[in-house]
Amino acid sequence: MTFNIHGGYLEAIVRGYRAGLLTAADYNNLCQCETLDDIKMHLSATEYGPYLQNEPSPLHTTTIVEKCTLKLVDEYKHMLCQATEPLSTFLEYITYGHMIDNVVLIVTGTLHERDVQELLEKCHPLGMFDSIATLAVAQNMRELYRLVLVDTPLAPYFSECITSEDLDDMNIEIMRNTLYKAYLEDFYKFCQKLGGATAEIMSDLLAFEADRRAVNITINSIGTELTRDDRRKLYSNFGLLYPYGHEELAVCEDIDQVRGVMEKYPPYQSIFSKLSYGESQMLDKAFYEEEVKRLCLAFEQQFHYGVFFAYMRLREQEIRNLMWISECVAQNQKSRVHDSVVFIF
Amino acid sequence: MMEDQEEKGNAENGIGRQKQVKDEYLLQFLDSLDGYLTLLDSLSSTLSQGWLELASARHAMGASRINGALLDLKVHAAATSLKVSEQDVDSMESQPCFTLCKWASSDNGERSSGEEKSLSPQLRHRNNSQLSGIISSPQRQKSLSVFGVLVSPKLRSAQLSFERALETLVEIANLHTTMLSMFEQVHKELENTNG
Repeated sequence: MTFNIHGGYLEAIVRGYRAGLLTAADYNNLCQCETLDDIKMHLSATEYGPYLQNEPSPLHTTTIVEKCTLKLVDEYKHMLCQATEPLSTFLEYITYGHMIDNVVLIVTGTLHERDVQELLEKCHPLGMFDSIATLAVAQNMRELYRLVLVDTPLAPYFSECITSEDLDDMNIEIMRNTLYKAYLEDFYKFCQKLGGATAEIMSDLLAFEADRRAVNITINSIGTELTRDDRRKLYSNFGLLYPYGHEELAVCEDIDQVRGVMEKYPPYQSIFSKLSYGESQMLDKAFYEEEVKRLCLAFEQQFHYGVFFAYMRLREQEIRNLMWISECVAQNQKSRVHDSVVFIF
Repeated sequence: MMEDQEEKGNAENGIGRQKQVKDEYLLQFLDSLDGYLTLLDSLSSTLSQGWLELASARHAMGASRINGALLDLKVHAAATSLKVSEQDVDSMESQPCFTLCKWASSDNGERSSGEEKSLSPQLRHRNNSQLSGIISSPQRQKSLSVFGVLVSPKLRSAQLSFERALETLVEIANLHTTMLSMFEQVHKELENTNG
């Protein structure tokens, strides 16, 4: 009843932002473009126009993605600076995933003797923090934590992966997934504490995210050095698949065994029914379509924070769509453009 | 008179054999040219597929996980190398022969077992275990580890496509050498005929 006192203005803002998402008609126009300059011309009539108008030709696909991401960042910062507690903490939680990605990018790039400035340019702007460049100095996870991450929001997530082992590709991968698991569980608990419609809607969205992560970890680890125990440890401790689905996924050796596990859960039956046997190429698109459906449903209710999370994720999906369309146009593969585009409206 | 006819017959046989040899060289040249053009076409489509699969992997995993800034600049031995040897075509000539040595590491001065180009590729289709067949080689896995250990199957497919493209390039180089050699032979035969 008192939601509108502190959150009413920003909910109206985010619903206005949502109205600016690209429609199926926009995507149909974009899919028919012959060059990246055509894409720029079509986007100039959308809310991305001001961000792309000064970009010189020849355009590159990464430029289009960067400028579209800047729009998302501007909108996020506008909402964050207007938000009060607990909405401001909720909005910050949305960016911790990008922070984890940036930490791993810097650490991996430093391991490969890359220049820190070059790595910083590749970081996602939503995941930046002040001492991020200092990450390049750390030799192991203990130093990473002590020198840099202890003063960041990621500090509580490090308790499960602090070791003195030197950072190598496997340790970094385990660190990435352990941090993300801890972040998702923490975000879930925070939403539960908020209660009401926020808890109800965010529980569903975060549970889906946790389940999707479990499936992706399983498929990506098939045939690698990751043991079954290590794989099991990377799954989050919530979600529809927890705990019995996780036990079965941990021992899967191929995509059809994964399918066999997932088809026992009705919400995921429809996803896997779209795939033919032995195939995993269209799985990502099937999961994105399901996610978009759930995110759009979040806007059907009022007076909850789920709309902010849903909007950010829908914009990220839109940017992924634009990235794919740009790549297909640039590589002269327009026949494949509908392989990965997920319509939002 | 009989001797004249015999000589005439021998001369005709000689001319016939020469013509046969010329036709053979010409056919071999045309075959190698046809093979060369087919391989060029195959290379183009394999590379297109590889680039699209790489874009698809970047779409699935995110731009922060698949980008040029993650490539390893540390000094390390090449995972794949090209061996050039001389092959005797006949007793007079030799031509270069290119052999691809895939996934062989020369770290610490020892050559671990690599794959010669002539071996069948790592991709084994066994029932539905396409994924584990693709990533059976440790060196193949290691080369992708710059992007992380748990990478999407799309990235592995892209790796296979670029591997196939590399094999095709080596075949093109060998066929190109054969084609040039056949062309020289045809040219020589034509000069002999005209001379």
